[in-house]
Amino acid sequence: MSQSLMPSFQANQISLRLRLAAWLGLVLLASMIGLSVAARSHADAAANRSYDRMLLGSALSIAETISINGDEIRIDLPYAALDMLSAAPDDRVFYSVTGPSGEYITGNAELPMAEGFRPRDEPHFFDANFKGEKFRFATLGREIARSSKTGWIWVEVGQSRRARNALGRELFLNAILPIGAMMIIVLLFVWFAIGRALSPLRKIGQEIAGRQPNDLTPINSSVPQDVAPLIISLNVFMRRLDENIEALRSFIADAAHQMRTPLAALRAQAQMSDEDDQDELRKGLQAVERNAAKLTRLLDQLLSDSTVTHRSDIRDFSPFDLGRNLRQCLLEAAPMRSDATFSFKSSCEDATYTGDSVMIGEAVKNLIHNAVHHGDGESKGVDVTLEEYAGNYVISVSDHGKGVSDTQSEVLFERFARHNHQASGFGLGLAIVKRVVVSHHGKIKLFNRKGGGLTVEISLPKSAP
Amino acid sequence: MKARMAIYLGLLLFIASSLHVGVGLKKRLSNPTPDGVLLTIYSTTDTDAFYPVIQDFRTRHPSITIQYELLDALPLYDRVIAESNSEETGADLVLSSAMDLQVKLANNGYAAPHISASGDSMPSWARWRNEAFGVTFEPAVMVFSNRLMAGRPLPQTRSELLKALRTERDFWHGRVGTYDISRSSVGYLLASQDVRRSSEFGMLLDAFGEAEVQVSENTSSLLDHIENGNIAVGYNLLGSYARARLENGADISIVYPQDYTLAVSRTAIILRSSQNPETAHLFLEYLLSARGQKLLSEHSYLSAVRPAPDGPDNRLGFSQSQVGLLHPISLGPGLLVYLDPMKRESLLQTWSEALTLPPQQRTPPEIAFSD
Repeated sequence: MSQSLMPSFQANQISLRLRLAAWLGLVLLASMIGLSVAARSHADAAANRSYDRMLLGSALSIAETISINGDEIRIDLPYAALDMLSAAPDDRVFYSVTGPSGEYITGNAELPMAEGFRPRDEPHFFDANFKGEKFRFATLGREIARSSKTGWIWVEVGQSRRARNALGRELFLNAILPIGAMMIIVLLFVWFAIGRALSPLRKIGQEIAGRQPNDLTPINSSVPQDVAPLIISLNVFMRRLDENIEALRSFIADAAHQMRTPLAALRAQAQMSDEDDQDELRKGLQAVERNAAKLTRLLDQLLSDSTVTHRSDIRDFSPFDLGRNLRQCLLEAAPMRSDATFSFKSSCEDATYTGDSVMIGEAVKNLIHNAVHHGDGESKGVDVTLEEYAGNYVISVSDHGKGVSDTQSEVLFERFARHNHQASGFGLGLAIVKRVVVSHHGKIKLFNRKGGGLTVEISLPKSAP
Repeated sequence: MKARMAIYLGLLLFIASSLHVGVGLKKRLSNPTPDGVLLTIYSTTDTDAFYPVIQDFRTRHPSITIQYELLDALPLYDRVIAESNSEETGADLVLSSAMDLQVKLANNGYAAPHISASGDSMPSWARWRNEAFGVTFEPAVMVFSNRLMAGRPLPQTRSELLKALRTERDFWHGRVGTYDISRSSVGYLLASQDVRRSSEFGMLLDAFGEAEVQVSENTSSLLDHIENGNIAVGYNLLGSYARARLENGADISIVYPQDYTLAVSRTAIILRSSQNPETAHLFLEYLLSARGQKLLSEHSYLSAVRPAPDGPDNRLGFSQSQVGLLHPISLGPGLLVYLDPMKRESLLQTWSEALTLPPQQRTPPEIAFSD
């Protein structure tokens, strides 16, 4: 049964496991990118630092050999100056020495200069494209002061970036590869961990699937705290479902029972009727008519009950005049019994109320019917009043019957409950009234009237909470 | 269409004529085939020395025509730069024993990288940037004339040579020969390495000066003098040439200086401006291959760089254990130092002053290094 129902349910949402893993993966990826960027710049900086030191050493060793012979500036290029740069075995090397007035002294004449370069003692490093490759240059100034030549001598040494880029890459990979591997391991672990963490849900699902269709007992298996609210709600829901099914079952049983009695009577009347005896026949027909009326009443009430049940579900509320509504109910009820008298008193000039006029009407009609039915005293008067009291509309319907005892008033609101089994009626009326009042957030009260009779008082809040 | 054909034809004629006109030492080592590829090599080596290797290459690749031009190292360097910068049709591959100039070409971006397993198997001193490859291994040796030395002990180190020069001044007078470093690029390279490595080199130069050293720009003429008995000792001569003479029955002795023996490596670079880079790579790969290296060491007296093909005994013509400290000159930016104009000027000045050559010979030819 449950298996055949499965396909109609579509799990069109991404699984929890995938969701969790995706979020975690996203976080890991973001942190990986962040780490990569940091590691990259760190590695490049480190590689630059170490190779810059070498480049500077080279420039310094050239600067050391600057000598002035008369007016001539001379450089004795040390072998180590360029040879030390072979620590980067595959990199190209250029150097130049420039005099105070920018004149070429030795080396390569056309080396690029740093932008916005100012004479200073501190070495300056910069990157530039040169002869088809990216180069790193170090420049170093030496101030000379002589009568004829005064100013700065520039030593510039440049080396292509192959080795330092390779070192930067190596440092970067050394840093990032273990982190990347770690993240993959973490992600795998997370995937399995989530699977394990979600296993109670699967277990509960299997437990529910394995149940008998009529088994609505609470789920008792122990679950993690996070899932407990779901299980509690599920248990509460199943309990209510159980109650509803129970109520429906007894309602059907009661309704069937109630219908059977007048029908049985009808059949008995029909069989016993003697066609020859006009008197008997008339009595029989009267009895048939009575039982049919009873059955009609029962069906009316069942219809009313289902109307109210349906309308309380849809809550189609709109403003209407409560006074007119009550008067209309009385007019409809009046033809019911010619021997009864009705009175209506309203202390409100305008009784605009927001609610379901049909439901309120049903409730009031049922109350009037009850009052007519049970008020079997001397005078079968029914008094209906409408008052406004402390923000509520208070509707009261009173009869002149026997009233009820306190113990009875408890059960009167249940379906098919009657305080008097001999009296006709099916006990649906007050149950309908109660449902209407509850759906309007109102209150209902029963009390015995002074001088005999029962008053049912409904108070409806003017503004729904 | 016709116009384009005419242009192609003109271009072909131009190339053909430019190949045949001009440089005297130019040799075509195979007949051009109609659809063949032309590989142009500029070299400082004698054609004969590389002849066996080129022949072998040709038999393996008959469609390739090799044009082999011999130039001196400096004109070769200048020509390569001029042709590369003007985008003229020039050489595809350059072979030069002037390692420093080859490094400078590579450093200035004229060389194309050659990446191969053979290249990687070269020792680190014999390759730079995958662009410059040393293909031979040629020690700089002292060569003595057995006739003149007659019974005298052969100096085995620079110190011993210096001592001998100082003690028997009359015997050595006019009987010492070496490269003219102002004109020979290999000579200059070797002298610069000596300056760098030996504290005695200055004194040795002074002694050479006193002995009125004979200078020449090539090994062959010095070896002729040694063979003829005009010169008793030749300093810093290329061992490969001396070995060839020795095998041909010359009465000479070769001494590998025991204090340290420099070794020059003929360096090959493929030019970025090459018109036939595939062919150039093919040829260089062949030179670096075990077969090419073996042929070089067996037939050309040019020892191989790769130790594997010829083994330790074969490499220098005898066991390496007889050689003291072997210092192959390492390809790398260090070689650029002595190409520095100021540095070169001062080295040449030191040289000429020490040798006290007559004034007209003292001034070195004006050499400008273009980049």
